[in-house]
Amino acid sequence: MSNKQFIDIANTWFHSKDWKPFPFQQKTWKAFLEGKHGLLNAPTGSGKTYALWFPVVLQYLKENPNYKTKHTKGIKAIWITPLRALSVEIQQAAQRVADDLETGLTVGIRTGDTSQSERAKQKREMPDLLITTPESLMLLLASKGYDKTFKTLTAIVVDEWHELLGSKRGVQMELALSRLKTVSPKLRIWGISATIGNLEEAQDVLLGMDPEFRKNSILIKASQKSKIEVRSIIPKKMETFPWRGHLGLHLLEEIIPIIKASKTTLIFTNTRGQCEIWFQKILEKHPEFAGEIAMHHGSIGKDTRLWVEQAIRNESLTAVVATSSLDLGVDFAPVETVIQIGGPKGVAKFLQRAGRSNHRPGEPSVIYFLPTHALELLEASALKRAVKDEVVEDRIPYLLSFDVLIQYLVSLAVGNGFFPKEIFPEIKNTFCFQGITEEQWNWCLNFITLGSQSLKAYDEYKKVEVTPEGLFIVESRQIAMMHRLSIGTIVSDSMMLVKYVSGGFIGTIEEWFISKLKIGDSFVFAGRTLELVRLRQMQAQVRKSTKKSGKIASFLGGRLPLSSQMSKILREEMQSEADHKRNTPELKALSDIFDRQERESIVPGENEFLIETFKTRDGYHSLFYPFEGRFVHEAMSSLLAYRISLLSPISFSLAYNDYGFELLSDQFLDIQTVLDNNLFSAEYLYQDLQKSLNYTELARRKFRDIAVISGMVFQGYPNKVIKTKHLQSNSQLLFDVFRDYEPDNLLYLQAYRETFEHQLEEGRLRQVLERINHQKIIWKQCEKATPFSFPIITDGLRAKLSSEKLADRIKKMTLLLEK
Amino acid sequence: MIQNIKIHNNDFTLHPSGAIFWQNKKMLLIADVHLGKVSHFRKHGAPVPANAAFENLGKLTEISNYFQPEAICFLGDLFHSKLNEEWQDFEKWVEYTKAEVILISGNHDIIPKYLYEDLGVKVFDELLLDSFHLTHHPTEIKGTFNFSGHIHPGVRMRGVGRQYLRFACFYKSENQLILPAFGNFTGKHILKPSERDEVFAIVEGEVICVSKN
Repeated sequence: MSNKQFIDIANTWFHSKDWKPFPFQQKTWKAFLEGKHGLLNAPTGSGKTYALWFPVVLQYLKENPNYKTKHTKGIKAIWITPLRALSVEIQQAAQRVADDLETGLTVGIRTGDTSQSERAKQKREMPDLLITTPESLMLLLASKGYDKTFKTLTAIVVDEWHELLGSKRGVQMELALSRLKTVSPKLRIWGISATIGNLEEAQDVLLGMDPEFRKNSILIKASQKSKIEVRSIIPKKMETFPWRGHLGLHLLEEIIPIIKASKTTLIFTNTRGQCEIWFQKILEKHPEFAGEIAMHHGSIGKDTRLWVEQAIRNESLTAVVATSSLDLGVDFAPVETVIQIGGPKGVAKFLQRAGRSNHRPGEPSVIYFLPTHALELLEASALKRAVKDEVVEDRIPYLLSFDVLIQYLVSLAVGNGFFPKEIFPEIKNTFCFQGITEEQWNWCLNFITLGSQSLKAYDEYKKVEVTPEGLFIVESRQIAMMHRLSIGTIVSDSMMLVKYVSGGFIGTIEEWFISKLKIGDSFVFAGRTLELVRLRQMQAQVRKSTKKSGKIASFLGGRLPLSSQMSKILREEMQSEADHKRNTPELKALSDIFDRQERESIVPGENEFLIETFKTRDGYHSLFYPFEGRFVHEAMSSLLAYRISLLSPISFSLAYNDYGFELLSDQFLDIQTVLDNNLFSAEYLYQDLQKSLNYTELARRKFRDIAVISGMVFQGYPNKVIKTKHLQSNSQLLFDVFRDYEPDNLLYLQAYRETFEHQLEEGRLRQVLERINHQKIIWKQCEKATPFSFPIITDGLRAKLSSEKLADRIKKMTLLLEK
Repeated sequence: MIQNIKIHNNDFTLHPSGAIFWQNKKMLLIADVHLGKVSHFRKHGAPVPANAAFENLGKLTEISNYFQPEAICFLGDLFHSKLNEEWQDFEKWVEYTKAEVILISGNHDIIPKYLYEDLGVKVFDELLLDSFHLTHHPTEIKGTFNFSGHIHPGVRMRGVGRQYLRFACFYKSENQLILPAFGNFTGKHILKPSERDEVFAIVEGEVICVSKN
């Protein structure tokens, strides 16, 4: 039979369902059957599962003509999904096809949620299609005999590749693929990605540097255009709408009619804490929704999450308050409306969320935008333009992530063991490590065997050992177990289980939150008010509280800075505001605030750079407004503070948001000296940033993840009371020790490199500085805080920079006393 | 760079290394050195720089050369864990030092007592000298003044412009003084002093009184 005849099997199946295959699906089938690798660019809900699962099945039929009577054992394909929540959906779709065609093929899931017995069963006999996460795949590579298990593999499909690409999970995936290319000779590599700015690069990263793979590959774009309609929820009374804040509860009543008017509504929040609060408040104000609304975020127990997802599918819920845990993939046909609370900060994320609604072809997806403070309306206006102009961001892949490489090498050593000679060429062929030198490679090998470049004659360091044959292997069972537990590149705070005293699991919560509570305190979690009864091991035991309110569980992380594309559009919107065009409803609503800003200062136009100074009882405030996103402002504030501090001894505390930054000091700062000394210069940028105290602090924060990923910090056994306290250190301490004793450590240096490339976004920073040098600088000495400055100066999260001697600073400080 | 204080009519020198010199007894008090911690971590696969292990004994030698004490009393957690190679270095150090060496056992001190005693190190659970009570865990006995370790005390300070800094410190309350950790691979635990407490922070090689009284 020819490939075409096989493709007809797929076509027939589609017709039997009264569907018609899309051209991109047929194209993918054909390319796959021809043995090609590739990247499929298709949005969620477009039938991408069928695009890539079908050819795997057809390939099997092709190779096993008597498939109806005899099932050939061995795994055929791996489907990688970044979120566990997506796996059930994919399994159902894949199994339906396998069953309808009477192939006898089985589909299994293996994630962190999979039971021990199920895993053991899979180890004895792998399903034909295994749906798993990058971490679980890595765990399989850390087990003995994985090469035999994966020998029969014909395809690996990396779903939502754009999600993995810009993170260390992407690097982890690159490394796993580099190994599979060798152990699975028949392997085809396919990725599925939503639209991003750098699709070609995404394909290169996926396939690696081998010319063989790159040549024999194809990029397929599904040319379905999804129409998206953005509607802003504009406060009726702007006067009482807050200037700062991030919850958005003022507009709660506005969304009630929206929820009531549609079958199912998804309400997206930016953080888990915000999600908890919204859920709680909606129920409090509108008890009639009890039982009809639910909540979904990453800390909620798996059973509840699955229940919520199922309930959305069978339309038994009116609304779900969610975080990014519902961003991806899952195709919820009944969702009619999506509401976004607070700025999504990026166009791609916003589009993805919008795409969750209304998959009926031809009709637009509607997304409501609910601003949490006044200036966010400007963001809403910018988002609308971005959607209209189809602006999307790039995802920047990581380079030379030695922490992930070290974790990977130890994983291999825990499994079969490895010979460096075999592995090095594979590593060198990945996109991430294309630039690795022999010296760096040897450093990594030394690191895992000797604990860095220790030249001391006698040392008890023990991790990976080298056999006389030169095999790198982990012999110690304890080290192997500790390593398996630490596989992964998502570093979170240590988590505690939250359980009822009577039994019954509610979810997991960051330990630092629980540690702030006293026994008997009540707190809100997973939509319930709970009372802390006792702490046992890593469990917080609770009972239902009768109190009306309590502390809301808060979670770190989750806040994204404005992307450069978004900030550019934002500045353009600002220009239109400066010109008094006010041609969108959002900008019209903002007119009072802008009028006030103009009264007390100015609204900067495109060629103007605004600096405001004023004094409050906190000290002397200097505010700068580049409108470039939080990360860039963080870097710029530290840079500028450092340069000013060279002129005379001064201490600053720094604050920033997406619009601008503040230098706060106990001394008056003469902006004219800043300008006269050309302190916005892009020259010596690298050197100056490195010297600013803040840079070290940022690197210290980056180092935390690196220390955990590379296995330097062991986070303990989950849910177990094995004594590991004597082995727990924190990355802060390690960072200092490396700084003092081993400053050339590659992982220590990586912290600085990552800070520079990913956190400070050097490229963007340089551009901003150059832009400012062409702008007209307007220094406004104001009487009091302006509308623009207000959200920044009230921000509690601060960094600091000083050129005063520590002892002099202390004389001016006060001890923090017990309250 | 140092601070001298008087307690029960005795004179004490607070040194920026974290040690206290009791002038009347010519005795050095040192808490929480956590020797062997670096090697212990390395043995379990955490590659802390090996050089960090040497510094503690170097610092000990330096300070005993400076004060020339007749006795050195460790207020617990001298060794972080089980015996490892750092013990041999410690043996050499004990041989080299002229002072009498005393250890008040701490929660981390699980190395058998007889091994210390073989080296001539005296081991106690606590020690009462005149009206001074030396322990590892902070303890209160009426009529005595307590020196202890264990906590690794630190304080947080706030300046104008919302600046915050953290320092290791000597933490003195009415009948008690808690020493900072002497070891270089140890953390600190931030305490919130009350109005009556005295706090001596260690800031870039200086001991500075940061509390009001």
